[in-house]
Amino acid sequence: MSAVAQSEPLIGVRSQRWAPVLGALLALVLVAATAEIVLDAAAGLSPLIPKQPAIAGWLSPIGQRLGYRTFLIALLVGAGAYTGILVLTRAPALGAISKRSAIVLIAALHAIVFIGPILLSTDVFSYIAYARMGVEHGLNPYVHGPSAISTDPVFKYVGHDWRKVATAYGPLYTLLSYPLAPLGVDGAVWAMKLMATLASAGTLALTWRCARARDLDPVWAILAVGLNPLYIVYGLGGAHNDMVMLLAMMVAVALTIAPRASPGRQAGAAAVVVAGALVKATVAALLPFMIVSRRRVAPILGALGAVVLGALIGYVAFGVNGINIVAALNRDAAFVSTDSFANEIAHLFGKPGVFPIDHDLLKGGLVLIVLHLLWRTWRGYDWVAASGWALLAVSVTSTWLLAWYILWPLPLAVVSRDKRLLWATLVIQLLFVVHQISPLLASVQ
Amino acid sequence: MSTPPTPATTERFSSLPGWMRPRDVELPGLGQLRLIETTVLLLVGLLLAIATINDVARQVHVNQRLIADLRTWRSYTGHDFKNVSADQELFGPSSQREVVCGNTSAGAPKATTQICLLIWGPTVNGKRAVHGGWYLPAKVEDERSDRYGCFGSAAERLCSR
Repeated sequence: MSAVAQSEPLIGVRSQRWAPVLGALLALVLVAATAEIVLDAAAGLSPLIPKQPAIAGWLSPIGQRLGYRTFLIALLVGAGAYTGILVLTRAPALGAISKRSAIVLIAALHAIVFIGPILLSTDVFSYIAYARMGVEHGLNPYVHGPSAISTDPVFKYVGHDWRKVATAYGPLYTLLSYPLAPLGVDGAVWAMKLMATLASAGTLALTWRCARARDLDPVWAILAVGLNPLYIVYGLGGAHNDMVMLLAMMVAVALTIAPRASPGRQAGAAAVVVAGALVKATVAALLPFMIVSRRRVAPILGALGAVVLGALIGYVAFGVNGINIVAALNRDAAFVSTDSFANEIAHLFGKPGVFPIDHDLLKGGLVLIVLHLLWRTWRGYDWVAASGWALLAVSVTSTWLLAWYILWPLPLAVVSRDKRLLWATLVIQLLFVVHQISPLLASVQ
Repeated sequence: MSTPPTPATTERFSSLPGWMRPRDVELPGLGQLRLIETTVLLLVGLLLAIATINDVARQVHVNQRLIADLRTWRSYTGHDFKNVSADQELFGPSSQREVVCGNTSAGAPKATTQICLLIWGPTVNGKRAVHGGWYLPAKVEDERSDRYGCFGSAAERLCSR
């Protein structure tokens, strides 16, 4: 009896001793894995890195050409370190990572990605092309694709699949990007990177605030979002406008879950969701859950006001095409990516890919999930969790799944009252990473 | 979820039956619903995990076939070039038949005359059988109208001249 009683504090003391050391080691591994990807990406000539201006040319002598093998190993190692840090930090008594260390670590990862090249996606060049179409060439990006400005210096960096495609992003984002057009391609890329980094910082600050408001561990919450390898490498590394969308999402959540959410705050929260949807439409998924959970007129009025104002601005700036978001969404919903779960399930059942009937089945499934979540929210379920589930369901049922889409529910998951959401989000992210590993097992060269 | 239950916040919905009235927080005793939800989630997760692993295994098989194709091209042409491309679209991705193209002499990809081989069949000693092929001029994609010098019976119907 006494031996047991003595051993427990002993283990506790030992744990408290090694936990910070292990935490620091895992943090170093995560930083090293991220730095490896960024430095090798800066060396250029990689099939993983889009053609781009040499914004990180000064880093190019340090790294080697980024191959699939190196990238995947770094991603898997980073994911392992991320998991280890989350497990260690789950027990605050261990003191594995302090508040200051967490912020420094997240800032370091952001800085490493910021100074490097654009990673893994050409999307940012589409954003710049749409801005330059409007500002430099007087063309409506909701009518024309970047091929209309084939002589523009940004055109050669736009992904082949998107050269004839008009923008699917909201008019607010397009207008936000317009001031960046006169900066030139290099300047606009840096500005886009800065915008994504600042949006991420804002998202993390609000994640902290929301976690604290809900009596959750804010350090753990920001580590779960800010160290997430997909968030850092794909989301931030690609300077995706999803980061701006996530910021709007978390502003709305923070306004709503404040201790005294006045009608004005609730109206403001709904208006911010609409503003976020005018950046990227997906975030509109939060609105029905927010309205159903509040059962007040204020969020409805806030949303309606923002819709009217946004539609007016979109119409004045871009005409009727600028407010026809449904058409753009329908067009994108028809795309199929190799990483989509729908495509994987089709292969599992011996089909070569996704057929139109599958799109309808998936949409039907999504509608059922949303209806169930709305009913649960009506009956008192946490609306933040319901919104997170809805975003996760959108990404899982989408036939066009990209890594940064499975980031959408993450900030909601860490501040939600249903821990199953975080588990589900992380499992989906893990499956996405696992789906990338075939070049590790058989590399075609 | 530990917050104690409270009645619905407004009187507006008091005419609704109890099971339909809105609530600010969930009632305790929803364990069965959560159990059903969790079971469904686990089953969906299992399906997605199986589909993912199946797809990785499928892609590994494709990669192994492509590795054999590239090895076959290098052995057949005697050129150990790095930039050799394999096209799965001509016969369809599920046909396991590939068109593998590369330069006939050293240079940047497609900078010189190219030779394309039609490859299929089982992998034997790391290689597969060549069933024909054609040449392409420099700097063109593999279009039927540009193919010439076709050889092998399998290539006849795929060539224009």
